[in-house]
Order: sequence, then C-alpha cells, then structure tokens
Amino acid sequence: MSRNGTNGPLFAGYEPLAGVYDEIFDADARPRPDIAGVVRMFDALGKAEFRARQKIADHTFRKGGITFSVYADSQGVEKIFPFDLIPRTISPQDWKHLQAGMTQRVRALNMFLCDAYGDQRILAEGKIPRWLFEQSRGYLPEMRGVKPRFGVYVHVAGIDVIRRPSGELVVLEDNIRTPSGVSYVLANRMVMKRVYPTVFAQARVAPVDEYPMRLREALVATSPVQHAETAAVVLTPGAYNSAYFEHSFLARMMGCELVEGQDLFVHQDTVYVKTTRGPKRVDVIYKRIDDAFLDPEVFRKDSMLGVPGLVRAYAKGNVTLANAIGNGVGDDKAIYPFVPEMIRFYLSEEPILAQVETYICANEADRAYTLKHIDTLVTKSVDESGGYGMVLGPAASKAQLAEQAARIRANPRGYIAQPLVELSTCPTWAGESTAPRRVDYRPFIVTGKSTWVLPGGLTRVALTDGSYVVNSSQGGGSKDTWILEDVAR
Amino acid sequence: MISRVAGNCFWMHRYVERVENTARMLQVNGAFVLDVQLPDAQRWRPFLIVAGEQPRFDELFGAGKAHDGEVVQEYLTWDERCPSSILTALGWARENARTIRETISLEMWESLNEAWLWMKEGSARKLYQRDRHTFYNRVKDICLLFNGICHNTILNAEPFDFMRLGMLLERAGQTGRILDVKYHTFGREQGADETAGEVAQWLALLRSCAAFDPFLKLNRPLSGPEVAGFLILEDAFPRSVMHCLARAAEFLERIDAGSYPAAGGRRALPGLSALIAYVKPLTIGAILERGLHAELTHIIDATAGVCHAIHADYFDPVFDGAVRPAQSQVQSQGEAPA
Repeated sequence: MSRNGTNGPLFAGYEPLAGVYDEIFDADARPRPDIAGVVRMFDALGKAEFRARQKIADHTFRKGGITFSVYADSQGVEKIFPFDLIPRTISPQDWKHLQAGMTQRVRALNMFLCDAYGDQRILAEGKIPRWLFEQSRGYLPEMRGVKPRFGVYVHVAGIDVIRRPSGELVVLEDNIRTPSGVSYVLANRMVMKRVYPTVFAQARVAPVDEYPMRLREALVATSPVQHAETAAVVLTPGAYNSAYFEHSFLARMMGCELVEGQDLFVHQDTVYVKTTRGPKRVDVIYKRIDDAFLDPEVFRKDSMLGVPGLVRAYAKGNVTLANAIGNGVGDDKAIYPFVPEMIRFYLSEEPILAQVETYICANEADRAYTLKHIDTLVTKSVDESGGYGMVLGPAASKAQLAEQAARIRANPRGYIAQPLVELSTCPTWAGESTAPRRVDYRPFIVTGKSTWVLPGGLTRVALTDGSYVVNSSQGGGSKDTWILEDVAR
Repeated sequence: MISRVAGNCFWMHRYVERVENTARMLQVNGAFVLDVQLPDAQRWRPFLIVAGEQPRFDELFGAGKAHDGEVVQEYLTWDERCPSSILTALGWARENARTIRETISLEMWESLNEAWLWMKEGSARKLYQRDRHTFYNRVKDICLLFNGICHNTILNAEPFDFMRLGMLLERAGQTGRILDVKYHTFGREQGADETAGEVAQWLALLRSCAAFDPFLKLNRPLSGPEVAGFLILEDAFPRSVMHCLARAAEFLERIDAGSYPAAGGRRALPGLSALIAYVKPLTIGAILERGLHAELTHIIDATAGVCHAIHADYFDPVFDGAVRPAQSQVQSQGEAPA
C-alpha cells in the first residue's frame, strides 16, 4: 500500500507541527500511550474506509437537519456544522485536573455574581477596580438586590480551554450567559457511535447522554415550587436564530416545552404560557435570549422577543431564570483576568487552572502596549462571542489592524489583548490525508444543588490549514471529545 | 399544548395534504389529456382555479399560457412565487415541522426534511423531466409516508388531534374544489346522455380524488350525479367531504372537551357542527336542484370559516385579566432564598 495513495493507514505520513502540542501524537510522531490502541484501530481502518464513513456521517447530519445558521452568509440559512470523524481524546489524568478546575472556577463565578449583585465586597476591598466593574456592559444595575434561588447565577457554563505547547491546559475564556454547543456534543456522539461501533466499544469512552437529564435536574432543583410540579420551559428567539437547533434539541431531550416570548405573559408577577387549555403557570425558564431583549419593560423597549414584566416576576422569586440575568459582567473579558482573584477571595484556594495573560485596554499602560504590538497580539471585544470582534494580529492585513486600533482607541474599555497561543493540534481529515489542525475545547458545567461537569464537551477545530480560528461562524468544525476512562477501574 | 404550536401542527398537515392533492390532480390530468380531446382552455386552466391561482398565473405569464400544460405544471409544481405549488407547500410544511421539532417524532421530521432536500437539490427535478408520472408518485408517497408515520408514532394527544384536524379540513376543501371546478367544466345537466369522452372525464375526476376503486366497488352507475354524490356525501369514502367533516368534528370535540371555559365561548365547534347538520341530510338530487356550484361554494366557504374560528379559539387566544390557570397553584413558600 503506497504511503500517500488514496488508501493506506489513516495516519500515514502524519507529522505534528514543530513546537506545538499534538493531542494524539508526540513530537516523534508516536501515538500517546493512552490512545495508542485507538490510533491502531483507526490506522487499520484505512483512508478509503474512513472516507466512506465520513459520507455516512455527513448524510446523517443532513437528514437530521442538525444545522446552525450563519448571519454573514449570502444564503443566510442552515448549514451543517462540519464534523470531523477523528476524535479528540483527553487522558484520565488531564480529565481529573480539568474537572476539579472547572468546578472550582464555576463556584467562584457564582459567588462573584452573588456578591456583584449584592454587597459588592470584592469591590469594597479593592480586589477588582470598581470603575472597571461598573463600566462593564454586562453589569445590569437593575438586578442589584435580586437573589436567584440558592444563589445560582450560572446554571450552565461553557468554559473554553486551550493547551499550550508545554502541554498545560489553560482557560481561554468563560461563557456564562447563553453558552451553546452542547447539542453538537450529543449529536456528534450519536453519529460516532453509528459510524464506529467497534472502535467505540474498545476505547472505553465516558458517556455524555446524561447531560439533558442533569440539566433538567438542575433547573427543577432551583425552581420556586415543589419539584414534582415544576413547569420548566426553554425560551428561544425562534426558528431563525443561529442556535435554534440546539434550543429545540434540548427542549425535546428534557421533555420541556419550547416557547417563544410571544407565548408567554406575566399576570400578577407570575409567568404563564398560552396553551390550548388556557394559561399554564411557568416556574423555570431556561432562556436562550440575550438579557437585553428579555423584557421591554426594563431593557430594550423595541424587543419583540421578550416578555413584558418578566423581570418583575423574577425579582419576586416567582420564576427561576437560567442562566440568571446579569451574568455578562462575569464573562466580560476585561473581568476575566480577575477570576483567579475571585477564587482566592471567595474560596481561599489557589486556582487549579491557569489563564492566558491578558492586557486590559481600559488600562492606559496595557492599551499603549496593545496598540504598539497589535500585529503580534490577538485583540478581542470584551463582550462578543462567536469570534466576532476578534482580530488575530499575525494574520491580519494592515487595513484590518488599523481599523481595530481605531476601535480600541474609540472604546478602550471594550477591548482586551492576549498573546497568540500556539494552540494544540489534533489530526483532522484534510481532503487527501490527515493533517494537524488547531483545536480548542469547551466543557459544559451544570449547577443546580451541586456542580457537575459533562465528561465530554465540544472540541472545535480550525479546518483551514494555518488557521487559529475555530468558531462555527468563521469556518470551524467540530470533533467528538473522548474522555478516556481509567483502565484500572 | 402551546397555542402557537397547535397552529404549527394544524398547518403542517394542511400543507402536506395540499401537496398530495396537487400531485394527484396534476398526475391524473397528465394522462387524461392524452386520451380526451378538450378545448385548450379546459385542459389545464381548471387546476389553476382549484388552487386559487388563476389571477396570479395570468399576471405572471399571460392568460394565453394557461393552455400550455408544461407551463401550468411547472407553475403548480416548482414555482416559489406560487403559494400552493408543491415545492412551496412542502417547504412550508417542513418549516412548520422545524419550528415544532420537539413536538413531532424524529421520524416525522426526517421524512419531511429528506423530502424537501430531494426536491431542492436536483434529483427530483431530473425525475420530473425524465418520468413525470413517477415523479408525482414519489411526491404522493412522501405524503403517505408522512401521514403513516404520524399515525403510528405520535402520542394520541392534543398535538395529534390538531394535526388530523388540519389534514381533514384541508382534504374536505380540496375534494370540494376539484369537484366544483371539474363539474363546472364538464357542464353536465341532470339526465343528459353520457358519451365515451364524458365517461373518461368522470373517471379522471374520480382518480383525481383517489376515488376510482372505492366508487366502482359500490356498483353505482357511472354518471355525473353519482360521482358528485359520492364525493360529497359518501361517509364510507375517506376523502369525501362528508367523511372529512365528520371525522374532523370528532377531533375538534376532543380538543374542545379538554379546553378551558372561554369568556364568550368558542366558535369553531359550533360552526363545524352546524355545517355537518346542513350537509348530512342532503341528497345529490337536492344539491343539483339548488345548483352544485352554489352548494359547494357554501360548503367550501363554511369550512374555511371553521378554520378561521379554530385560529381564534386555539392558536391565538386572548387571555384577559381574568386568568384562571389550568393547574392549581401549589407555591412552596418554605425555602428561603439563598
């Protein structure tokens, strides 16, 4: 069998990039011990068979309509999120470390939000500059004094993690408003099981199927009424939203109704949904709408997506909102550098997971540094997601850099900068053979009465050669993430 | 169930029913015009009328083009400007399904999604060009599969009731419209002689409503009045107007019984019951005496009225200040907020 022919071992000729950590192969192109067995199975499968199975996977996604929508695209409608059939694996040791780190981090963020909308001790004691905090667009003063049940602000967190060349896993950013992607985790796993039943059986991968059940449990646990009678709904902006598939999917898997703002109304500070049998009380809302559009009485008056009076009902404690209103101050990228401080302040612990060095452009010195080195840094908007508002210095044109610099000067509080991290890579199908492509990782953490980390998560991959951008809206794809279970169990 | 979602269930099935009826009509007529010499204006124009699309077609293509079967079929099958074309209606069925994915079964969604992809992506178009008859068979199969899956995988609760209600009311209207237009076109009077060409027309009409075999099984003489009577009044035939209205009323009664006491009452069920009370005692003789066109118009309009009333009663209800929730309030005040 020729090395570079259309058939042959799947990983034939695979070469990791110099100075970059590869998730599957070490620097000598040998498979890492935890996954050597899996690599052998894939190799034996061969390129031709792999191609055939990729076709089956693609067909399954199309048939199932497992899509997302892209705003910038001319067609503007549904696209299949490209799925690469080579999984990304995480060793049991790495997993233990991640799990502990995530749990700690989410605990600290919850306590921060409680404090931020309560006594603001962390500000009073000067751990976070008050001016920086108050200028956050995510801080909603209207919510001060409103206490969600059990102090849970972050029922669902999606925390992005990357790996440095040294092998160290670090947190890149937090997503605690409406983190998305878990439906792809579940859909990807379903497809993987269908396409690779044998490999799967051998590889001992932690299952992910209990996510919807765990999420539902957390929602019910934080309900204002008796658990057995709790009515929980998923609130979506509608079928034209880019993440609509996920809203629908989770509603179905949790056995909840999927509602739009127009289906709900508030009467005497209680939320009701319009049903064919009359109004039915709603106790918990898993909301996938931005805070700004949630309630035209309090926030954007022009919003057609929200429910007038919802904030009143929420403030009275008559409805639980997951995630809580006002979480944006917690995933503001200019506040992110203070999360280790939150861990120390609220938990009296040292952070288990490190972060990426960050320059806060609101600070004069940091801003000057950023503007001087804008062509080598990654500059980001503090409150956008999906990769929008981000410029990769080394990959940008002079014009793009000039535009970004102008934006930073016009609104310094709105930007941060970070050094470009050489993201780890994972073997990915690149048309004719496998090649290293950059990946990140987003685990999902659910908090109700306690915190649970999904043993899996979304690995996003930059499909283009040389690209560092993994977002779905900007040409990224995804891989199934395998948390390998300890053999000695 | 959520009011808006009830509407989606209702409309999803109406659209699928519309697709099936259109495909059947066009397929039957395709064979029919090869057998029978009809004036140009009568060969394809009636189908534009049945779909309510004659004015728009004339505007887009000019009145003369209605003589051209290819142009009419193209318009009623593929044109996205035509709200009732097969492609458009299928697209709307699928869009409704997409909006209520969590309500319908996975198989139902996949069947519609696959059908829509097939239509959009070229293989359907190739089949349409190469083998028109098989193409329409496939379209009908899509609808039959969808309804079959629905009947066998959906919990028989409210969503199911609204789905069947939509399908049945659409079907009643379709049968009524096809009969009205075709009967008018053939222009028969009671008791006139049947020629071979006219027999072919009645057979084609029966086939358009999937009534060919059922009608023959009942051993009735093949005449205009018999066919019309069968299509309107025969309760044993699943596509007759009477059958569809009666079954629709059963579903609407179930829905109504489970519903809440509405201020001012609801209008859909009374409206439908009144229509059934009107149609049930009719005979074809009486209908023809009063004028088939007038009677069918009345029935079709009343059916449309019922659909509007269903919308007001269930899909877009107004809840005034007197809110009486469907479940009892059991607020647990015991747990103090953290």
